[in-house]
Amino acid sequence: MQVFLEYLFAGISNGAIYAALALAIVMVFRGTGTINFAQGEMALFTTYIAWGLTTKNVPVVLCLLVATAAGFVLGAVTERVFIRPIERKSLLATLIVLLGLFLALNSLDGILWGNQNYTMPSLFPNSVSSFVSVGGARLYWANLGLWIVVAVLVGAMFQLFNHTRLGLHMRATASNRESAALSGIPVGRILMLGWGFSAAVGAIAGILFTPLSPDALGLGEMFPILIQASAAALFGGLDSPGGAVAAGLLMGIVEALLSGYVPAIGGQLQEAIAFVAIVLVLLVRPQGLFGSKEVERV
Amino acid sequence: MSLLEITDLRGGYGPSMVLHGISLTVNEGEIVVVLGANGAGKTTTMRAIAGLISRKGAISLDGLSIIGMNPDKVVGAGISLVPQGRGTFAKLSVEDNLLVGAAKRRDRAGIKEDLERWYEVFPRLAERKKQPAGTLSGGEQQMLAIARALMNRPRLLLCDEPSLGLAPIVVREVFSLLTRINAEQTMAMLIVEQNAELALEIASRAYLLEVGNVVSEGTAASLRNSDAVRRAYLGY
Amino acid sequence: MTMPSARSKGSLPLQINQGSATHRSLQGLGLAVLVGLAFMGSMTNSFQVGLLTQALIYASAIAGLNLVTGYTGMLSIGHSAFFGIGAYTTGILVSEHNWNPLLTFIVSFLICFVFGLIVGLPALRIRGINLALVTLALAVAFPELIDRFPGLTGGTLGLNVNLTQLLPPHWTGIGIQNRFEYYYWIAAVVLALVLVLCSNLTRGRTGLAMRATRDRETAATAVGINLAWIKVYTFGISAAITGVAGSAFAMYLGSLSADSSFTLILSITLITGLVIGGVATVVGPIVGGLAVIYIPHWTEGLRQGQTEGLFFGTILIILMFVMPDGLMGLLKRMSRFVVQIKPRAPEGPSAASEELLVGSDLNANPDSEGKGDTTLALS
Ligand SMILES: Nc1ncnc2c1ncn2[C@@H]1O[C@H](COP(=O)(O)OP(=O)(O)OP(=O)(O)O)[C@@H](O)[C@H]1O
Ligand SMILES: [Mg+2]
Repeated sequence: MQVFLEYLFAGISNGAIYAALALAIVMVFRGTGTINFAQGEMALFTTYIAWGLTTKNVPVVLCLLVATAAGFVLGAVTERVFIRPIERKSLLATLIVLLGLFLALNSLDGILWGNQNYTMPSLFPNSVSSFVSVGGARLYWANLGLWIVVAVLVGAMFQLFNHTRLGLHMRATASNRESAALSGIPVGRILMLGWGFSAAVGAIAGILFTPLSPDALGLGEMFPILIQASAAALFGGLDSPGGAVAAGLLMGIVEALLSGYVPAIGGQLQEAIAFVAIVLVLLVRPQGLFGSKEVERV
Repeated sequence: MSLLEITDLRGGYGPSMVLHGISLTVNEGEIVVVLGANGAGKTTTMRAIAGLISRKGAISLDGLSIIGMNPDKVVGAGISLVPQGRGTFAKLSVEDNLLVGAAKRRDRAGIKEDLERWYEVFPRLAERKKQPAGTLSGGEQQMLAIARALMNRPRLLLCDEPSLGLAPIVVREVFSLLTRINAEQTMAMLIVEQNAELALEIASRAYLLEVGNVVSEGTAASLRNSDAVRRAYLGY
Repeated sequence: MTMPSARSKGSLPLQINQGSATHRSLQGLGLAVLVGLAFMGSMTNSFQVGLLTQALIYASAIAGLNLVTGYTGMLSIGHSAFFGIGAYTTGILVSEHNWNPLLTFIVSFLICFVFGLIVGLPALRIRGINLALVTLALAVAFPELIDRFPGLTGGTLGLNVNLTQLLPPHWTGIGIQNRFEYYYWIAAVVLALVLVLCSNLTRGRTGLAMRATRDRETAATAVGINLAWIKVYTFGISAAITGVAGSAFAMYLGSLSADSSFTLILSITLITGLVIGGVATVVGPIVGGLAVIYIPHWTEGLRQGQTEGLFFGTILIILMFVMPDGLMGLLKRMSRFVVQIKPRAPEGPSAASEELLVGSDLNANPDSEGKGDTTLALS
């Protein structure tokens, strides 16, 4: 029981991060119809910024805010400068630009911060003794805090989507861009905001995730998470925020339990297995579990 | 001065020009209809006014030039387009569709008031408030599209083939609603229509388009009696 | 878009009929120049020969990728895996089973063809962006899978082929110390065969179907071709070609390590090469192969490790903006001012239709567009 709970806690933490990033992926997809390959690298970039600030003795909360704002700007600028002009040409051109961005951002991180790994300080008490005991298992504050922040973040995003005017305009733009423009919605600005929010969510995810283990801030650390998150987004349905969050959580938990109890599966092989499973699901239901039919684009 | 004044409007899609210098006017409170064969450039004209495609020439609404404006700014200036094929937001509820139509407005009370007004005029929409718009019938979607455009309280309503794909009896209904709204709100309308007979009935003036040019214009009555229109569009 | 067709004789552009004697001799001349260049390449010093060999191998791999991504419009980020499968096929067969290296190329072709079909199968139902993700997963999983089977692949330690098994045979007259010249010629011949295969494939009916898959608009012209299966088949051939390039790579390098040679970065490198050279052109991959090898080499002075990624990433982005057809696309367009080849048969989907696509509307929602032709004014 205790072991099970410990696996479960770890799984929920990973799952929360997958869920947040999957949500970020879905936000971009709904607006632009593409997956942002550079999503993970944007999150990594902003996490480095936050880490850089912590080394200057800036309080972690403040670092989080600055990095989130930086993420927002990075996302919005990316949409405006790199995506909007190319998007009309073809999906292929857009994807290639995003691959370029992926590569360039990762290398830029390396140039700016070097290729050694760092330990990101946590927002929450993070000593060996800062845990509560649940059924004999240790639930660390860092994990609990992460769950709460992600829950609040996801809740806020859903509130934004479903109960605000801006959210309504975002949904309208996602549903039919031309009609949105004809209704008086400044479509370009809405798309920029969507990318901005998406990258901001990614930034928060990065800052929450990296402190969970020592030396977890490094050039290659975010990409595997992005892979899992995109798998989750695919699985839940690329146009379904709720589906993405549910699938992200599920994936984190299943993965932790599997690699806990079946040690043969671990590392990046997990990603491959997750993907094979998802491909099989997609063959039956190409729009994902919760997605709607029209998502399927050529 | 007319409400809408278009002079020498040219535009098209990328390198291919479709409109070769269209001039037309719509007066305050007037219904004007645009006739023309398939591919004559009627939709393109509407899209050019709405700012969806790049265009040259002069367009002004009540003296204000709108030629360089983005679509959302044109809407803000007081022109709403009901596009050909309706363009409803399929996944959004009927009510959300209508609220999107008020994107340029800030007066909450007024928006609420208008919502009630259009629900009264279009009772079938009221019954389906919470339903995703994609599940409405074609006729209901057309009404939704019109109501959505009206939510902007436009001074000029552009309608691109409101009768498309509708049963004759529904077409009559839509047209009588348009006349009623025109009278009650003194809202000017520019309507593209293939059903020339019906359109000329409610319009005061008409334009005839052929391959991107205005080839004939005049009062509805005079166009109805012109041989060219009769042969090509009225069938007698 | 189209050039004015009626020009007086003698002025530029020159008009040449396809298949005419002039056209044939021009083609012959081009070929002769290429062969000449190939010989010149083989005579440089062994370091240069090595670089050139890599460039030729990458060119073949890019040519394979070009079929799927350039002609058929399906982004594959998984071609590093096919390249790796080809390389390991050769590596294992030669080192463990004493095969003649050259024979393993055929096995690589077949194995990668089958793998390509399997990866392409989801394309029947999964499209666009989702397919790109599936290939991405393949690229990520491949090195991991190699490490999981150390008995077969050498795992993280890598796979080393005994040099004696890779030496040039006697009849070539190339000695041990010049063995890189031998690999160079193998790479050149492989590339030549690959290009012939690709140009044949993309010219005929299959090519038409590929392009029809890419630009939905022209799909109508390909009536009677099963577009779904074309996708799978293209994936197979494309993977097979890239796999053979991998085999040549294994011969050239002699030691394989999945974690350093066959990662996602290789896939992105291949895509970069494709974009630099020019998608959907026959010669583009050669330019691309040379570019991805020589640019990092020439800029070595500038870079400190990471700079190469920044450089390639930036190049990818800039190219998509200013030169989306790559160098060959640009050359092609410019050469039209000098020489025009008049086609014999009516052309397939032309450049014109592609440009129209570029200019088309921002709206992708099907329920808002054109049912315009359903009603007629005349009743
Ligand atoms: N997106 C587009 N790209 C390129 N050409 C277009 C596009 N839309 C329309 N056209 C062309 O512009 C011309 C005019 O089209 P338009 O839609 O304005 O005609 P219309 O008068 O509205 O016809 P209908 O009665 O069939 O709706 C046609 O020749 C058409 O082929
Ligand atoms: Mg029309």
